[in-house]
Amino acid sequence: MSVVAARTQKPLELILARNLLTSISTPALLLDQHGAMVFYNEAAGALLGRSFEDAGRMSPEDWISTHGPFGDDGKSIPLDDLPATQAVRKGRPAHGVSRIRSAGGAEHEVESSTFPIVASEEGSSGAMVLFWPLNSKRSEGVQQ
Amino acid sequence: MRVKVWGARGSVPSPGPKMNRYGGNTSCVQLTLSSGEDLVLDAGTGIRTLGLDLATAPKVNILLTHLHLDHIQGLMFFPPCFRSDVEITIWGPASPEASLEDRVARYISAPLSPVEVRELPCSVSFRDAPPSEWQMGSATIHTEAVNHRGPTLGFRITEGDTTLCYIPDHEPALGASLADLEPEWVSGYDLARDADLLIHDCQYTDEEYPEHIGWGHSGIDDTLTFANRVGARRLLLFHHDPLHSDDFLDSFHATARRRWGELGGDPALVEMGMEGGELEVAPAPASAGVTA
Repeated sequence: MSVVAARTQKPLELILARNLLTSISTPALLLDQHGAMVFYNEAAGALLGRSFEDAGRMSPEDWISTHGPFGDDGKSIPLDDLPATQAVRKGRPAHGVSRIRSAGGAEHEVESSTFPIVASEEGSSGAMVLFWPLNSKRSEGVQQ
Repeated sequence: MRVKVWGARGSVPSPGPKMNRYGGNTSCVQLTLSSGEDLVLDAGTGIRTLGLDLATAPKVNILLTHLHLDHIQGLMFFPPCFRSDVEITIWGPASPEASLEDRVARYISAPLSPVEVRELPCSVSFRDAPPSEWQMGSATIHTEAVNHRGPTLGFRITEGDTTLCYIPDHEPALGASLADLEPEWVSGYDLARDADLLIHDCQYTDEEYPEHIGWGHSGIDDTLTFANRVGARRLLLFHHDPLHSDDFLDSFHATARRRWGELGGDPALVEMGMEGGELEVAPAPASAGVTA
């Protein structure tokens, strides 16, 4: 019998990553080992049009249908083709440019970098995605 | 299960006439299971005197939370290490960089030590603590990484319906608001949840903590908030700052008890780690208090 009835807690490396994202003004989000979005920071919330507290955890499918990303043709990029999916599945960093949609419908072109979070000997715990809007003042490296 | 504290000081041994009651030895706790087996939690300088008590033990299991000096310094002076009829197993955090033995040997080797690990007369083995649960005698041990500087473990040890949680070095509030976070985002939550006794880092006063953010330790408020969030039934404050005298720690204790009461807990269930202190850990919240 397990002495921990049911696992509640996220892996420490995700907890520390969330603590870091909470403290920075670069829009960023966290994915768990299944690719679900489990946190985004206030800067990302400003871009996405609602706070994480309002949005809550989102499955990859929910995320795509709500926020994209979308290709140049306006269609959602298939889950398997997303750089973030590749990062989580293969444990490799990924970088790309795409468009995302805020909760209010505004579209932003963003450049994103995804870094897998790999705990020693336990495989991938998830990934951290940092993104930079290309069509706003943020793209000039200035944070409002 | 029964707990005896052999060292409750943090960071560095701090002997002296103003430290006699709480003691100056660094982290070491003896856990005696109801089956009679002993587990040793950390090997700070307190383990030296514990070793004198284990004069005839044929086997010793030492669980290291991490390899900072205040948690391993006593190993080289642990009397069973120098007996050829003893089998010692040392468990600690895994590292991709080097084996546990190689990392401990950085201390037990020249020029820091007059002996090398391979020269110890005892039979000693080093094992990475499994990342989940394992059985040790009548106890089930759950291990989890916790927020401190460098790879650090906490232990949840369950025997029957009694659970002890040992997290001597921990800063769960770093970059986070413990009172508001969902449990899944609280470092150490699963380890400490509903523990009958939580032995937890409480190195700083709340006035001292802001000067030590990121050092890997907790202040009173955060420790109590953590204990409250996880539903710990009893709390033993541990890893005392080396600058805190007996009188200071008395006042520290009074503050902690008052605040625990304000959180709705029974102030009598907040105790201080005290060298020589013994506790009987039982699932009932009204179990016996510390006897130093």
